[in-house]
Amino acid sequence: MKESSTDDFDVLFVKKRTGVKYFAIIFGLIILTLTSVYAYLSIGSVRDRMELAHSTADATMQINPSLLNLLKEKAWIESRLQMASRDSIGLAIDLERHTIQLELKGVVIMSSKIRDYSTSGFFKKMDGNVYFSMFGTPLTIEKFISTIEKNPLRVVHAPKDTIAAAAAIDAAIKKDSLLDENVFWTVKLDRDIDLDIQGIDSVAEAKSKYKLGKGFEFERNLKNIISSFEHIMNFKKPVYTPEILISIPENDAKAILRALPRKPLVTIRI
Amino acid sequence: MIRSLLIFLAILFLGLLFFVTMVLFAIPALQESTLVLPSMIEVSSNSDIAGTDQQTLENDIAKLQTKLEKLTPVNAYMVVNTSDNHYYLFKDKKLVREGICSTGKNERLVSAERNYEHIFHTPFGVRKIIRKQPNPVWTKPDWSYIEDGLPIPSSRDPSRVETGTLGAYKLEIGDGFMIHGTIYKRRMGMSVTHGCIRLLDEDLEVVYKTMEVGSKVYIY
Repeated sequence: MKESSTDDFDVLFVKKRTGVKYFAIIFGLIILTLTSVYAYLSIGSVRDRMELAHSTADATMQINPSLLNLLKEKAWIESRLQMASRDSIGLAIDLERHTIQLELKGVVIMSSKIRDYSTSGFFKKMDGNVYFSMFGTPLTIEKFISTIEKNPLRVVHAPKDTIAAAAAIDAAIKKDSLLDENVFWTVKLDRDIDLDIQGIDSVAEAKSKYKLGKGFEFERNLKNIISSFEHIMNFKKPVYTPEILISIPENDAKAILRALPRKPLVTIRI
Repeated sequence: MIRSLLIFLAILFLGLLFFVTMVLFAIPALQESTLVLPSMIEVSSNSDIAGTDQQTLENDIAKLQTKLEKLTPVNAYMVVNTSDNHYYLFKDKKLVREGICSTGKNERLVSAERNYEHIFHTPFGVRKIIRKQPNPVWTKPDWSYIEDGLPIPSSRDPSRVETGTLGAYKLEIGDGFMIHGTIYKRRMGMSVTHGCIRLLDEDLEVVYKTMEVGSKVYIY
């Protein structure tokens, strides 16, 4: 009687452990399958993006690799000349010379040194034809998202008398201090490229602002991931957008954001 | 029972942690790397195609560069950064002076009672000096009275005329906007004006003497 009850208990224990084992295996397989499907479709979307870029590029043009840098230089100047034909401020980014500048009618009105930058692997794998189809002519900014207001305009109600007017002046003077803002902005370019600009003045400052900047980036990435999931749930490949991330001094990042008109032209050299 | 439940939960947690890490970090990192793309760099060495030889390209670039450089004025011009409230004066394509300025305060003044609205903003873009004048007199516009909470006098009322407020010189850049001096020197370098560009006395004198009628002012 005693032995039998011990056997029953052991059986129960073994069953439970087997259950855990089965669960671990099945759950592990489900997770691995989901991850693999997600990775496969996500990576597939990058390859699709490159194929699309190839199909839209002028593949008939033969490009000698030894002349590629000269052709890029020519495209860079031609594109800036096209920008100069417009009356509005344009943005010129030269990753080769680490400069970002505002141009108006061909005149460089502001220039800033790029402290650091990173580009998607997509750009490193472009051939000449894809390069010129993407950067041979000016791009257009279609959408701005930023941590600071692009065109701040405060509404002030007119004072009723001179006493209220004097009080308003005092309040304005008190408010007029230098704001310590976290400047991070991202734009969507018309050839389906994301351009991210972050304002960083020093390493120490960058550390304290890292979290805020990352928060902004994370929020944006999360939106991309949700969109990717939606695509995958509908048995479609997610949309991949290659990115360029540039770090410049904070005041310059702010000045450039505020100077750019609604749909400005952008010339990029990589 | 509790032990088994804990094991279930641990497996569940680890599995989900793995998935989330992959989705949030590993797969996006892989997408941004070069590993997922086959090399597509052009390997053709055909340089016999017309217009693609090195000499032709170098000549083209030199011509285009000259064309682009010609767009920058040789005579005096000024660049105003309204974000930093800084100005730069150029002559012969060289920076000859720079300093602080004050620009538009980016405000919309609204008076519901008087049915009035005015935006105080320095306009962006390129403008030209259309008129230069020493010892300018300021004729106060309506917004000045509305902003001070005062009744608006008639357009020819003598109280509208003020001397000294605009400093020693003014340079008009169109639509009522000007480059001028100020009596409010402690607020220089701030966005406090009604749209005009205020300079310090010494800077204003140099700008006035360097810039001609027709000289360009680039504002951003």
